[in-house]
Amino acid sequence: MKSIPKLIRRFVGIMTLSTILLIILNLTFFAVVFVRNTSTFSPWDMAEHAAAALQLTDGGYSISDDVSAKLKEENAWAFLIDNDTRQVVWQTDHLPDNIPTQYTLPDIAELTRGYIDGYPTFTGEAQNGLLVLGFPKDRFWKHTRASWDYHFIANLPKNTMIILAVNIVLIFFIYAAVDSKLLRSIRPLTNGIQNLSDGSPVRMKEKGVFSEIAEKINKTSEILQMQAEQLRKKETARANWIAGVSHDIRTPLSMIMGYAGQLENSENLSEIERKKAAVIVKQSSRMKDLINNLNLASKLEYDMQPLTMKQENAVSIVRQVIVDFMNTNIDDKFPIEWKTADTLSACYINADKDLLKRAVSNLIQNSINHNENGCVIYVSVDEDNNTCKILIEDNGAGASGEQIDRLNNTPHYMICDTNTAEQRHGLGLLIVKQIIKGHNGDILIGRSEYGGFKVVLNIPK
Amino acid sequence: MNEDYLLNKRILLVDDEQELLDMVLSILTEYGFQNVKTAKNVKEALEQAEKSRPELAILDVMLPDGNGFELMEHLRKGGDYPILFLTARGEDNDKFKGFGLGADDYIVKPFLPKELLFRVMAILRRSYKDENPLVCLHDSQIDFSRAEIIKNNEHIPLTAKEHDLLSALYRNAGRIVTIDALCEAAWGDNPYGYENSLMAHIRRIREKIEQNPSHPVSLVTVKGLGYKLMIKGK
Repeated sequence: MKSIPKLIRRFVGIMTLSTILLIILNLTFFAVVFVRNTSTFSPWDMAEHAAAALQLTDGGYSISDDVSAKLKEENAWAFLIDNDTRQVVWQTDHLPDNIPTQYTLPDIAELTRGYIDGYPTFTGEAQNGLLVLGFPKDRFWKHTRASWDYHFIANLPKNTMIILAVNIVLIFFIYAAVDSKLLRSIRPLTNGIQNLSDGSPVRMKEKGVFSEIAEKINKTSEILQMQAEQLRKKETARANWIAGVSHDIRTPLSMIMGYAGQLENSENLSEIERKKAAVIVKQSSRMKDLINNLNLASKLEYDMQPLTMKQENAVSIVRQVIVDFMNTNIDDKFPIEWKTADTLSACYINADKDLLKRAVSNLIQNSINHNENGCVIYVSVDEDNNTCKILIEDNGAGASGEQIDRLNNTPHYMICDTNTAEQRHGLGLLIVKQIIKGHNGDILIGRSEYGGFKVVLNIPK
Repeated sequence: MNEDYLLNKRILLVDDEQELLDMVLSILTEYGFQNVKTAKNVKEALEQAEKSRPELAILDVMLPDGNGFELMEHLRKGGDYPILFLTARGEDNDKFKGFGLGADDYIVKPFLPKELLFRVMAILRRSYKDENPLVCLHDSQIDFSRAEIIKNNEHIPLTAKEHDLLSALYRNAGRIVTIDALCEAAWGDNPYGYENSLMAHIRRIREKIEQNPSHPVSLVTVKGLGYKLMIKGK
C-alpha cells in the first residue's frame, strides 16, 4: 500500500514535535520552580546585611529594629564571635540551648560551610567579629563540600548537548524499532485488504497482535470468493444454456431453410407457391440471425468471448462486410453505396476483426430489416486525429426523436435488471454496443442527412 | 464456361441425421451432381471412402462414433482431396481447429442451398482446375495452366501477378472481390499500400482480356470496393 511510507513520515513527524515540546515544557517548569524558590530571599545576603546592621555602642552591641524584625519573621537567630577571643559577645533572643559560646578555628570553618548542631548557618563580617546567622533545621539545605573538577565545569555545556543528542537518537531508534515492528505486522493486513478489493483470494496467517483482524479478512475473502464463484457458475450456466439451445435449433432450421430454398427455385411450382417458399426462406434466415445474435450477445455479456485485438485496417474490414452483403443479396432493393473518400485507403485501429465485421454487418442488416420497401444504404469510414469513424446511414423510414433517444439510452432486456414487458430494440444493436464497448469506443444513433437512420461508431486509434 | 466436369466428381457426404443427409443429397443431385455417396457414422464413412474413393468429402463435426476432425485425419490417409465441414457448432475455436487440420471450408448450419452449392463449386474449381484449362470470357479465354489469354486467336502471356489476380477473381467469379483481398492474393500477408499497383495491373489485364479496355465487360470495377470477373454462362 502506498500509504505506509506516508504513515511512517507522519509518525516520525509527531515524534519529533512531541520531543521538542517535552524539552521546552520541562525547561520552563524548572525555570519557574527555581525562580519562585530562590529569587526573593538569600540567607547569605541576610547574614551580611545583619552584620552591617550590628553596631558597637557604649552599652555593648545592638542591632537595628527592622533587621531584628526580619530575623523574627524568619524564625532566625544570630550571634557575634569576637575576632580576638573567639567567644560569643552578642546574641539575639531565642538562641537554641546547645549552641556553644566558645569557638575554635575548625568550628568556624565548619559552621561557615555547614551547620551548627543541624541548624543551617550563614556568616557575615561584622566590626571586630563574625556574625553567624542561624535558621530552623528544615529551612535550608547546604552543600558542605561544594567543589568540582575544573574541566568538568568547563565542559559542562558541551557534555550536556552531547547527552541530549544521544538521548534523542536513542529515542528515535526505539521509536523506529517499535514502529517498524508494528508496520510489519500491519503490512499483511493492508495487503490482504488490497487483495480483497481487487477480488483476488486472500489467505493470511492468523497469528500475532492482529490475528483477530486477519481471521476476519480471511473469512470475508472466503465469502467474496464463494459469491463470485456462484455468480460465475450462474452466468456460465446461462450462456451454456443459450449456446445449447441455439445449437439444437440449427439442425432442424437447416432442413427448413434447405428445402424452402429448393422450393423457392423449383420450376415445378407456381409463382405464388414459390413466393410462399421465399417467405419461409426469409423468415428462417431471420431466425438464424436471431440465434447467432443471441448466442454472441450472451457470450459477450458474460465475458465468454474474449476479444482478440490486433492492428487492423478499418477501411478494409468495412469494405469486406459490404462486399459480402453485395455478393449474397442479389436483390436490388437494398443498394449499398461506398462513401469513403478515395484518399483514405487505410485507417489502423486496434480491433477484433471478426467482431467488428459483425458489428458493421448487424447495422447494415438493421437498415434492411427496418425498411420493407427497400432503401439505399450509405457506408463510409472517416478519421480524425485519435478516432476512426464508421458511418452507416440509409434513406429509409428512420426513427422519431423519441425512438432515437430510447435507442441511445435504454438498456436491452438481456442486460436490464428490472422486469419490463416493454418492447426493446433488437439483439443486433445490443451486440453492436457490446462490441464497440469492448473496443473502448462509443456509438451514436441519430437521423441521417439522407433522410433515414444513422449510426456512427467511434473507435479510438 | 463449362463446369459440367465438376458435377462428375465423387462426393462423400457424412452426417448422423438421416433427414439432413437426404436434404443435402437432394440439393446436390438437383444441381446435377451424379456421384454422391452418404454415410451416417465414422465406420460407414471409412468403408464408403475405401470403396468409392471420393474427390470431395462433406463432413458433420459431431458423429455418433467419433468426431469429424478425427474422421478427416483418417480420410486424408487415403487420399488428398478437399474436405468441407458442415456443423451446428459455430464457435470460433472449432473453426480454427478445422482449418488448422487442413479443412478446406466450413459451413455453419443452418445454410441456404445456394450457399452450400457455391462453396462446393468453389472448392472443386480450386482443386480440380487443371482438367479444364480454358475459362471463357466475353471477348477472350483464360488458360490458367499456360498462364495466357487467347483473344482473337492470339496468345497473350500473363505475368505472375496478373495470373494470381485473375485466379483470385476466377475463384469468386461473378462476385465482388475486395481491393484488399486482391492485394493479399498478389502481394501476400501485408497487402496495404498496393492499391495503385493493383490499379495498374488491372488496367494491363483489361488490355489483354477486353475488346475495349475503356469499357470493360469481363473485369468490372465496383467503385471503391473491388472488382468482379464475369464469366460466360454464369
